[in-house]
Parts: sequence; C-alpha cells; structure tokens
Amino acid sequence: MWQPKINAPVLTKRIPTPPYGNMRDRHVVSYDEYIKTGGYVGLRKALSMKPDDVTEEVKKSQLRGRGGAGFPTGLKWTFLPKVEEGKDPGMRYLAINADESEPGTFKDRLLMDFDPHLMLEGIAIACYACRLKKAYIFIRGEYHHQAKVLENALKEAYEHGIFGNKGLLNGASNWSVDCYVHRGAGAYICGEETALLEGLEGKRGWPRIKPPFPALKGLFGKPTIINNVETLAHLPSIIENGWEWFSKQGCNSTIGGPPSWGTKLMGMSGHVNQPGCYEFDLGIPLRTFVEQYCGGMRNGKKFKAAIPGGVSMGILGTDQYDAELDFDIGRKHNVLGLGTACPTVFDEDTDMVAVARNIARFFKHESCGQCTPCREGSGWLYQLLGRIEEGNAKTKDLDLALEIATSMGSMPGTTICGLADGNNWAVRTIMNKFRPEFEARVRPTFVPVRVTVGAGAKG
Amino acid sequence: MAWITKPSGTMKIERRAEPYLTAEMRRDLSERYLPRYERKMGALLPALHMVQHAYGWVPFQAMEEIAAFLEISAAEVYDTASFYEEYWLKPKGRHLVSVCRSIACEFCGQTEITEAVKAALGIDVGETTDDGEFTLIELECLGSCGGAPAILIDEVLHESVTPGQIPELLAKARAESNGHGHGHGHH
Ligand SMILES: Cc1cc2nc3c(=O)[nH]c(=O)nc-3n(C[C@H](O)[C@H](O)[C@H](O)COP(=O)(O)O)c2cc1C
Ligand code: SF4
Ligand code: FES
Repeated sequence: MWQPKINAPVLTKRIPTPPYGNMRDRHVVSYDEYIKTGGYVGLRKALSMKPDDVTEEVKKSQLRGRGGAGFPTGLKWTFLPKVEEGKDPGMRYLAINADESEPGTFKDRLLMDFDPHLMLEGIAIACYACRLKKAYIFIRGEYHHQAKVLENALKEAYEHGIFGNKGLLNGASNWSVDCYVHRGAGAYICGEETALLEGLEGKRGWPRIKPPFPALKGLFGKPTIINNVETLAHLPSIIENGWEWFSKQGCNSTIGGPPSWGTKLMGMSGHVNQPGCYEFDLGIPLRTFVEQYCGGMRNGKKFKAAIPGGVSMGILGTDQYDAELDFDIGRKHNVLGLGTACPTVFDEDTDMVAVARNIARFFKHESCGQCTPCREGSGWLYQLLGRIEEGNAKTKDLDLALEIATSMGSMPGTTICGLADGNNWAVRTIMNKFRPEFEARVRPTFVPVRVTVGAGAKG
Repeated sequence: MAWITKPSGTMKIERRAEPYLTAEMRRDLSERYLPRYERKMGALLPALHMVQHAYGWVPFQAMEEIAAFLEISAAEVYDTASFYEEYWLKPKGRHLVSVCRSIACEFCGQTEITEAVKAALGIDVGETTDDGEFTLIELECLGSCGGAPAILIDEVLHESVTPGQIPELLAKARAESNGHGHGHGHH
C-alpha cells in the first residue's frame, strides 16, 4: 500500500489541509503569523549565499515546474545571460504565472487565498538568485479576491524590507526587487508563457514564436524568467533545508527518467465525496487519492475515467485507476503528462462523448487563432463531436475526428504553442480509450454490397 | 477568443462631452501604474480594467482617451480590448452572472444551474434583462472545480451552488445595487 513520505505538509504548512488539518481552519496568513511560523528564513539563508550557489541548490533539487510542463527550474534559470560578479546585468524580469485557467485546476489559488507570503518569499529568492530586478505576478482576471490578498501581502512585504528600494531584507543584500500584481482579463491562452508576456506589455495574448526564448529576450525584449506560483512556493523550504531533504519526498522514476521529487498540490474535482485541494508526495496513486483521502467515489458509483491534471493532458481509462501521479505518467499511461496534477474524476454514469465535446468546445473557444491548424481544427473537432453526441454522425466521422486531432497537434512545428497539442491529446485519448461509446453513437457508414443473383436464386 | 472581427468601416462612434477617463483615473495611472512598466503600453490592461470597473463596459471614446493618455494608437487599444473577454465593448447589465461550463462543473450539475438562472431572469445565455439589471453568460473554468458547480456574480464567487439557491443569490445582488450602486451601469 502507498505510504506518504512526508510527515508534515510543506506547501500547506500554514493552510490546514487533511489529513494534517481541517479545511475549516483555513485563514489568510499575515506577515506576522508568517514570520512566527518560520517565514522568510529561507530568504535569509539565500541572501547569505552567493546567487549562483542558490541556483546550484535549486538545480540539485531537480525541482520541476509545477505549471504543467515539468521543466527543471534550476536549468531554466541557467539559460539567462551570465552576469559577472559585481557587474550590473541591466534590466531583467521575473514573470510569475498565476493565470491558472486550465480546466480542472485550482491549486495556485490555494496559496494565494491563504498563504501569499510563501510565494512572495519564493519570488524574492528567485530574483536574488537570478539577478532579476522586477517581478510581475500575472494573475487571472477572475481571481478578484486573490489579487486583493496579494496586494495586501505585498504591502506588508514592502514595509518589512523584502521588496522595494531598501528591500531584500532591509538593504542587506545590495540587491533590490520591485514586485507588482498585474491582472489578466479573461484569456486562457495568457497562461502560455510568451502570451503572458504579451499581456504584460498591454497587447493581445498571442504566443510568440520561439526562439528567441524568454530567458534571452522576454518581457520588453529583456531577459525574463517565467515560473509558476507553486514552483516558486517550493523555493523557501528547498533553500532552508537543502536539496537532499527535498529528494526524500516524492519518488524516483521507475522508467529511467528524471525524478519526481517533492510534494505537489493536487486539486481533486469531479465525482468524489470530498473534492478539494490537497498536498501529497508526487507518486501517489490516483486510486489512493480518491479512496483514502477524498472519501471514495460519490454515491457508491464505480470509477470510469479521470483527467490527470487539466483537460490538455488527455484521459486515464477505467483500467488506469492505479496510475501514479508523477512526471512519468505520460510515458506510462499514454497521456500527455502530469499537467497540473489536479485530477477530475468521472463515475460510471458519465457520457464520455459529452466529455470530449466539452473539452473540444473549450479549445475552440480559447484558441487564439494565430495558427491555421489550431484555429480551424479546434472548430471542426467541436462540430464533429457535437454531431456525434447528437447521433447525427457516421462511422467515418470518427476517423475524420481522429485525423484532424492528430494533424493539429502531433506534428512538431505546425503550431506556435502547445494549446493545439493539448486539444489533440484530449480528443484522441478519449476517443481511443472509449471507442465503443463513440461507435454506439454513430450511424454505420453506408457500404454498397454487391449481391450476385445467380442461377437458381429464384427457385 | 475574439479573433473574429466585424467590419467597422462604417461604424459611428457615440461621443459625450465628459471624458470617461476621469482626472482621478489619470492620476492613479500616472502615479501607480505607469512607473511599473518599461513602456507606457504596459499600463493598458490596468487602464482598461479601470474603465470596465467604473462603467461596466469600455466605450470607444474611452479607448481613444486611453490611447491618447498612453501615447499609442486607438487601434492598438482596440486590438487589446477586443481580445480579452473581461472587457465589454457593449453595455451589459448592472450585474454579471457568469456560470462556469468547463469540465468539472458541467459534469457536476452546471446545466441545471444555467437553466435555473435563465428561468429566474427570463433570459437566455448572452442576454440582458429588460430592466438592465442582469446579464447572463457562461464561461470557462473559474478555478473552483472542487466546488463545482461554481458561478461568479460580479466579483463574488459562489461554490457548490444548487438550482434552489439561485433566486436568493440573484435577489441579494439586486438588493446591493439598490443600496449603494456598485458604480456600474451608467448607460
Ligand atoms: C496553452 C497553455 C496554457 C498554459 N497555462 C498555464 C497556466 O495557467 N499556469 C501556468 O503556470 N502555466 C501554464 N502553462 C505553462 C507555461 O507556458 C509555462 O510552462 C510555465 O508557466 C512555466 O513555469 P514552471 O516551469 O514553473 O512550471 C500553459 C501552457 C500552455 C501551452
Ligand atoms: S497553437 Fe492555437 S493557441 Fe497556440 S498560438 Fe497557435 S492558434 Fe494560438
Ligand atoms: S471547471 Fe468549473 S470551476 Fe473549474
């Protein structure tokens, strides 16, 4: 049976979360409470180290991005132009991805709802390590409450010498950072890192063609690091406790890939008894998560399928209930990846054709329209799936839908960003893993049959 | 996403003498927002948010005023404003009811919620009530999937809502605008 490796929560240390605490006790953690409970100790330690040594520690921890792609954070930081010690690197930025709009995902929100200083401390550490001067928290427009919580926390952080002219702990570090909240305005695509930069520049959220990569040419053409809220929230404890401590949480790869160390915020939604956002070691099996921590499936129904972490990832089939939620999940279970590790679970009564249609509608609505395969393909897929759902499609339409899905995402270089590939994986894996359900909804394609009327046929 | 545009060559822009971008907004933009960004255009989303918040929509005249203030072209402002769904280019109701239709919500009872709102207000999705009080829309994931079905009424989120709660939630919003007018709906 799966056992947790942590005996105390890390990211949710101050956010009561089962099995360690009661969700009803959750409250906004002020600067004072944050300090009393060990806050900004990681930052103090970081400031006593050389910036490059902080980066080295993060590299060794093999922390992988929590925004969806799982890219190693320390490695990303090393793509910045090198800075000679004591030299001014010029303007360099941090963009914090708090756009959280992937359907099924509600984890960054937990940190911004209750413990905003954890991510602010992470921001301070990242800016110190990478020599970044300004940080923008790009938060989705619908997070009104969270934007207010962040503004208040930022005010406290400015007052207490974290940010601003006399910042990074009262001017002790010869480095200062400004940090601002920048509200998005209702566009899923702004979660894509270069679209996010466009949104910061006041433009429409059209992803940029890469290269150049943001680490060299990002916001306003300057070197820029983009990290997810949860990724940054991991930094204080990694710096405070060291990479070896981090490596004892989570799990190693069983297929020879890089490890999935550390804990992960996992928001569970769908047909379970106790949905909500929890924190677990990476590697927890989906079944354990549902049965042991979420009170099992709702109304005593059976598990049918789950999205591992956002609709872009595709679907886990009925026989994949035991899938471990770690960064190997893509290769092991034929989904795109772990994504945001916020599973949406469906019970046996769920209509998978409707699930596919819902997801196709989402992508059609959110495609930014720059690339023809994505703009057109997403519309065609939605139309086809709608027809299948209504029972107005033919068998050959199933293959047509699969062909469209495959051609809009799988071929590298046909689209600018990953949205099209998410659309492809979602539709393709649902159709393949639940093919009989789709076949039952279509009318057989008319196949002409030649009937030979031979001698004696009449008699 | 708003990548389908309408021909606008013959469109007439309605104007009023009083500027939409008030002196107070200009001051706030100059003092708080402009210093944050390397280029003035960086303050465009904050400026549009201000106008949207104050009037409930973003009139074309306001876009021209923002353009002049940020020293960019009105076309650039329109390009951005038309892309983001939170900016309304036409007046909407005093209150906006947004029902999440994404994956967790649809399969946890969202359709009944939409139906309940439609019945309570007597309008369809995308419409505004005759008295100008409510506009109903459906949108994508609100980041409350654990509390599905979720709806947003103006800036307040409601989780795990049931169809039975809808009339009460709407009445509460209506009472608020009778009390201290939210600043919206000057149209
Ligand atoms: C269509 C699309 C939407 C995305 N949405 C988000 C998002 O809402 N939040 C996020 O952190 N990353 C999102 N990402 C991933 C970002 O592009 C980027 O990889 C991430 O913010 C990097 O941070 P990390 O390395 O700390 O995870 C999205 C990517 C794509 C292609
Ligand atoms: S793949 Fe789709 S969303 Fe991404 S840039 Fe192209 S059109 Fe836009
Ligand atoms: S799916 Fe409705 S809030 Fe996420």
